[in-house]
Amino acid sequence: MMERFITLLASGLSLGAVYALVSLGFVLVFKSTRVLNLAMGEFLMIGTYIGYFLITHLGLPFIPALLIVAAVMGSLGLFVHYGVMRNLVGRPFFAIVLVTIGIAIIIRGIILVVAGPIERPRMQGLSSNIVNIGGAQVEIYNFIILGAALVLVLGFYLFFRSSRLGLHMRAVAENLQASSAMGISPDRIYALAWFISLAMAGAGGVFFGHYTAAIDLNIAAIGIRAAPAAIVGGLDSVEGAIVGGLIVGTLEQMGAGYFGADYRDIIPFLILTIMLYVKPAGLFGSPELVRI
Amino acid sequence: MAREKFITDYRQDMRIIRTRPQRVWAILITVLLVGLPFLLNNGWTAPLNFPWVAWLTVLNLSLTAIIGAAAFNLLVGNTGQVSLAHAGLLIFGTIISGLFGPLWGWNFWIVLPLTMITGALAGVVIALPALRLKGLYLLLATLGIYYFAYFVYKWFLVRNFGFIPIIYSFPSIPEWFPWLNEGEGGLAINNNFRWYWTILPITALSLLFMSNVIRTSEGRAFAAVKARDTASSLVGVSPVKSKLLVFMVSSAFVSMSGALQSYFLSAREEASYPFQTTLDYAIMIVLGGFSSILGAVFGALFFYGAPVWIDWIRQETPILRDINFLYSYKSEINLAVFGFLIVFVLVRSPDGLSGAWKRVKSYFAKWPYSL
Repeated sequence: MMERFITLLASGLSLGAVYALVSLGFVLVFKSTRVLNLAMGEFLMIGTYIGYFLITHLGLPFIPALLIVAAVMGSLGLFVHYGVMRNLVGRPFFAIVLVTIGIAIIIRGIILVVAGPIERPRMQGLSSNIVNIGGAQVEIYNFIILGAALVLVLGFYLFFRSSRLGLHMRAVAENLQASSAMGISPDRIYALAWFISLAMAGAGGVFFGHYTAAIDLNIAAIGIRAAPAAIVGGLDSVEGAIVGGLIVGTLEQMGAGYFGADYRDIIPFLILTIMLYVKPAGLFGSPELVRI
Repeated sequence: MAREKFITDYRQDMRIIRTRPQRVWAILITVLLVGLPFLLNNGWTAPLNFPWVAWLTVLNLSLTAIIGAAAFNLLVGNTGQVSLAHAGLLIFGTIISGLFGPLWGWNFWIVLPLTMITGALAGVVIALPALRLKGLYLLLATLGIYYFAYFVYKWFLVRNFGFIPIIYSFPSIPEWFPWLNEGEGGLAINNNFRWYWTILPITALSLLFMSNVIRTSEGRAFAAVKARDTASSLVGVSPVKSKLLVFMVSSAFVSMSGALQSYFLSAREEASYPFQTTLDYAIMIVLGGFSSILGAVFGALFFYGAPVWIDWIRQETPILRDINFLYSYKSEINLAVFGFLIVFVLVRSPDGLSGAWKRVKSYFAKWPYSL
């Protein structure tokens, strides 16, 4: 009983860490550009596939592969901003959401052409030795994923709180006009937000590629299931994304473990529905003030 | 502008077809809609090997999808209630029709209105978050509805059908119906040609209903809610009532189109409703054009027609024909093309195909001056 709980908790926390990365990507882009990026799962999927290619095919070790994926995905983020999103400033938000859906569809099509619909085994870049905690057998990569994701998130948090660029990002998020009057280029800040967001998604993809049972197009669902994580934490809160990710990941894994795998998809959305009714702004988010 | 007549009384103002060009178009389209299936059904060989045979299926599928797309457009385009619960409602319609049709053996003509009524009730439930939330919170809240519906759908399938698909038997027109009597058991609607004549009136009536809804005071209220719901409540529109109403109407039609599509395709299984389904309808209304019935028609026709069309071009063009790559990945390439089109349309011309159509029309209407 206890062993099962510990196993589920460990795998739930590492899943939650992936959610935290993805929802941090969500929140970052939303906070600065007010774009809800529904293609996040597909971006994560690109990260997984590139990571799979680097680690399983080329035999690269974990950390260089992670860095390469993050860099590639970051550049893709710049491309998304300068190629597409920049032309959409000021459009109704549903139009922009649909554009991200369009991007998601493009990515699905391209990945189907390049990689095909075949399932691939998970990556083996991390040690899968088993440690024994209180009688439970837990693979060690769960802790590595959790730790690495937390390091990334904390690194970003420090950057966001105390570096000059981070200050600029917060300024743009808080008041666009005032910050651009003070000499900050919102365009470049938006590009930076996309860069970091997709780099996070890519890193999340590499982590998830070690965690998931099989790599195929279904892993894009992570992006959709990370949306509840972002809402639980609060859509405009960086701390919230982390807490929300861990909560949703753990509860999802527990639910799937105790009730059956069929419940996996609906648990995050149950949490989301409850949260939207109780506290739409999320745990850490600031309530939205609407002008009449 | 001497050709444009001014409206002089209320009867003229209330007409659906107002101007002479519109009347000409209406007659042309009616002739086309009535004539085309006879041509297609009689094995007419088109020039350049155009695959007409496949088109009757495409037409039927688009006609069913038009209902759903128009209802989705009514909700998202006309009332501004951004909902992604669409595929969930299609699933709902399938569950209801599967329960009453194949399982309990009720007649198709009873099941279909029943899916509308239950769909309207489901719409009330879906509207509950819409009363509290708007914009992107509503979008995320409705995103979950697909997953809840899919969960119930899987449970329903496994419980009642095991792991085989739901098989819908062909509906039939009853024996007592004049002219269409085929003897014992009535006239079974068992081929594409007969389905066309079944689906076409249903689609036409649904579109007429929805376009009339937009014209009524409720429709105006929807537009006011879209513009700004708090402000609309100050001018006497009840946003709560409008939202409930639009969700009811839209859900009723979406659920009905799900049932109709299930009957037409005659088998539905677990894999019939992937998450992609919601996105498919988003593709339709974006490419067709927001907030217009015409947009839904164009969008659905394009969504189902374009793959056949692209396929035809590929087969008949000498160089493309020999590229194996295009053949073996045709559905994936179609998917990517749709994605590109969505992004392109939204970035370049946000009103989609129906907007392009309007521009073409106004170009010709003002011809010597539009050059």
